[in-house]
Amino acid sequence: MKKIAIIEDEPAIRENYIEMLSLQGYQVSGFADRASAEVAFKNALPDLAIVDIGLGHEIDGGFLLCQTLRSLSKTLPIIFLTARDSEIDTVCGLRMGADDYLTKDISLAHLAARIGALFRRMEALAQPADANALITRGQLTLDTQRMQVFWQQQLVDLTVTEFWMLHSLAQRPGHVKSRNDLMSDAKIYVDDSTITSHVKRIRKKFVALDSTFDCIDTVYGMGYRWEQH
Amino acid sequence: MLRFGLRSKFILLSCFLFLLPWLGYEYVWEMEKFLRQGQEKTLVGTTRALATALHERPALFDEQTNFLDQVVKGRDLYAYNLKNPIQLDGKLNDWDSYQPLFWHYDKRYLQKTDNKHQASDLSFDHMVGKFDNYLYAVFKVTDNTLIYRAKNSLSITNNDYLQIGLKTPDGQFNTYIIAPRQDGWINAFDANTKTPFTKIQGYFESTESGYNVELRFPINMLGNKLGFAIVDVDNKEALLEPKIMSTSNLNNPNDLGSVLVPSPEISRILKGMGHSGSRIWVVDNHHRVLAQSGTIQNADGVWADGLANQAPETWWQRFEQNYLHPIYYKILTRPENEFLDTLHDVASMQGTHLAKALKGQPASSWRLTPDSKAVILSAAYPIWIQDQVIGAVIAEETTNGVRTLRNKSLEKLFNVILAVMLIGTVTLFFFASRISSRIRRLRDTAEQAIDAQGRVTGSINYSDANDEIGDLSRSFSNIVSRLGGYTDYLENMSSRLSHELRTPVAVVRSSLENLQSLPQNELSQKYLDRASEGVKRLGKIITTMSEATRLEQSIQSNEPEPFDLQKVINGCMQGYQLTYPNHLFALDVCQSKLPMQGAPEFIAQLLDKLINNAMEFSEANTAINVSLMQTENKATLTVSNTGPALPDGLTEHIFDSMVSVRSQQMQQQPHLGLGLYIVRLVCDYHKGSVTAKNNEQGDGVVFAVSLPLHN
Repeated sequence: MKKIAIIEDEPAIRENYIEMLSLQGYQVSGFADRASAEVAFKNALPDLAIVDIGLGHEIDGGFLLCQTLRSLSKTLPIIFLTARDSEIDTVCGLRMGADDYLTKDISLAHLAARIGALFRRMEALAQPADANALITRGQLTLDTQRMQVFWQQQLVDLTVTEFWMLHSLAQRPGHVKSRNDLMSDAKIYVDDSTITSHVKRIRKKFVALDSTFDCIDTVYGMGYRWEQH
Repeated sequence: MLRFGLRSKFILLSCFLFLLPWLGYEYVWEMEKFLRQGQEKTLVGTTRALATALHERPALFDEQTNFLDQVVKGRDLYAYNLKNPIQLDGKLNDWDSYQPLFWHYDKRYLQKTDNKHQASDLSFDHMVGKFDNYLYAVFKVTDNTLIYRAKNSLSITNNDYLQIGLKTPDGQFNTYIIAPRQDGWINAFDANTKTPFTKIQGYFESTESGYNVELRFPINMLGNKLGFAIVDVDNKEALLEPKIMSTSNLNNPNDLGSVLVPSPEISRILKGMGHSGSRIWVVDNHHRVLAQSGTIQNADGVWADGLANQAPETWWQRFEQNYLHPIYYKILTRPENEFLDTLHDVASMQGTHLAKALKGQPASSWRLTPDSKAVILSAAYPIWIQDQVIGAVIAEETTNGVRTLRNKSLEKLFNVILAVMLIGTVTLFFFASRISSRIRRLRDTAEQAIDAQGRVTGSINYSDANDEIGDLSRSFSNIVSRLGGYTDYLENMSSRLSHELRTPVAVVRSSLENLQSLPQNELSQKYLDRASEGVKRLGKIITTMSEATRLEQSIQSNEPEPFDLQKVINGCMQGYQLTYPNHLFALDVCQSKLPMQGAPEFIAQLLDKLINNAMEFSEANTAINVSLMQTENKATLTVSNTGPALPDGLTEHIFDSMVSVRSQQMQQQPHLGLGLYIVRLVCDYHKGSVTAKNNEQGDGVVFAVSLPLHN
């Protein structure tokens, strides 16, 4: 049974999530603040952590906890689940080493799907690559099983959301994917500008590896498409 | 509306400086009054000094004044001092300048009253004068028949003749007759002895209307009585009694008129006073002038001594003389030496001061010359002989000296005042300019600190000046920063609100979802669905509320990139045509490149919001017009639709956050009025502008976005 830790200072939400995830078959433990969580984690690490950023009186307690967890384990999947949706917080959270950054208007089903995806990815990482699970588009290679993206054989470090968005685009090169398509494919519900910034971040990550990268094409007013040269 | 700035007010106030010259002028005027009084006293002093020299010296006056009770003009003669020698030639041009002094004798002076007498029968003009020890007399006789003395006649009275009666200094009464044979040189005859008397000589000349006689005799043969008679004989046969017209009755020595010759003795004494700078007269108690000295033109007292105009030496004196004095003398009057003098060579003086002096009181008076060019001060002082006033000394001076003095001091005063005013006005002007410029600067910064929409755009650079304006700028800066803080608070309200709402919404949502996983009966399922629907809408509201904030944040972090506006707009429009097949779009988009610097996604979002807005408000089956064109360095994008017009007064504010003009029917979807706010944010980011107005027909709305192009 997978062990999930929820660090959330709002008891109602914490309890709801615990109950929901327990119904899904996870072993869930909840913590109201950073101190109690850290004490528990010293004894045993969970398989996945869902962290709220603001914890009680600590405005950035979640970030600190994320750092602590990362120092304890490099591979532990961490999801930020927070009410804060500003660009800065998102970027901060992902830079701290979180695997995903979700806002609290997400539905429980969606959350469960994300958790499932992360666990799947963890499992996939442990397994040898399966040739069938590979999607190759020119210099791009997508490993859907391990949720890994390679550009010119170099690993592109994408978040889960970004992976699903890229996956959605690369699956059918040349086809325009609207923002709504991308949202549903990545299973997130955010506004258009968030999608835009996600796409921008994906582009940046590719450009960091290859400055000539221009495969993600903006079709103004409609969406994005994977342009294969 | 006339507006007075600080500067003009200061200038107006500085006009009070102009009171200074007035005050100075008044002061100098007072001073002049005192000076005049001083001059008056001095002049009275002068007359007193001279009178003192003449007191108790009857010898000087005995000859001259015979203690007559009255003096009759015409009978009592006065020998004027003649300035030029008289040539005895029968022509009267020597006398031209004394013409006004001629006394006209007409029928009033006939010895026997004759009512039938006419001026052409006999009348004459006459005056006597004194020059260089000679007494001169002139007669201009009008006579219709001139009868000369017959050549062989011993008689000297059977013809027209001139009779002279005089008293010698030793009291002897003599009569002389001038009876010419012809025009030319003449001598008198002693009337008693009928022998020629050559001391009296003259010239006789006939004229068209009569004849002229000029004659002279030594002054030392004359006492104080003199009379002349013109005897007109109209026919040689002496049928008619001769007409006699005379200055006084020559037949009776006691009736003889007096003659007054300016006294050489007194003149000598006066001459000594001639250097006093005054014109001085000595008059007898019949107002007749005994002696005179000095001219009024030079009599300015001693007041202006040393103030004579000197040639300018320094540049300042030259400047003063060339530029300042012409201005000053537009106000001031320069005392003039050329003025009319009525008392020039008068035989008898008049005036209150004299009348008073002859009563024994020293007095003075002021008078203006007839041409108003000068003011003359006269002082009179009585001359006493044995408790009797025998005459008076009159001194006259113009006030020119005092006026020169006054002018000099006014010049100096004006110089000082001019300098004070100049410096004062300039200082005040600069002071006012500085203050007003500081205030204007403060006003400008205060205005710039808040934009047309009322947003605080910047802070005020306050000044460190330790005065009221500095205080004002500091408090302005304070206000603006506090206002900015409050505006920030308001602007962040929606994002903070959304953040705060998110947690309770998550509680409700997760609870509902958990509830949904439990078995429900039909009724509870219905309520659960409704509750979920409400939460979903709440979630949507929260997302929209943070949308603008997030756009602001992403705008702040976005780096501008070059892109083609035309491509973006065209792409978007194709998208809309695909997405909304039920809507009509009328496009007028230029196909040339419109290079811009910025974020194409934001532009697409802007167009999104505009099209959304247009679709929401447009009437069914009407097209949404979209046009894009280039004007000079700008691209203009307009989106127009037919539909309800914008309410008045809201056209500026519909681009503000949380402003919506939707009617109640259109409020089915949650709407926070952030769409057009986002449009404005994007416009601001691209340094463009957006306007909304009703179209010309009034049946629709036009949004125009102007964006600068980047070449």
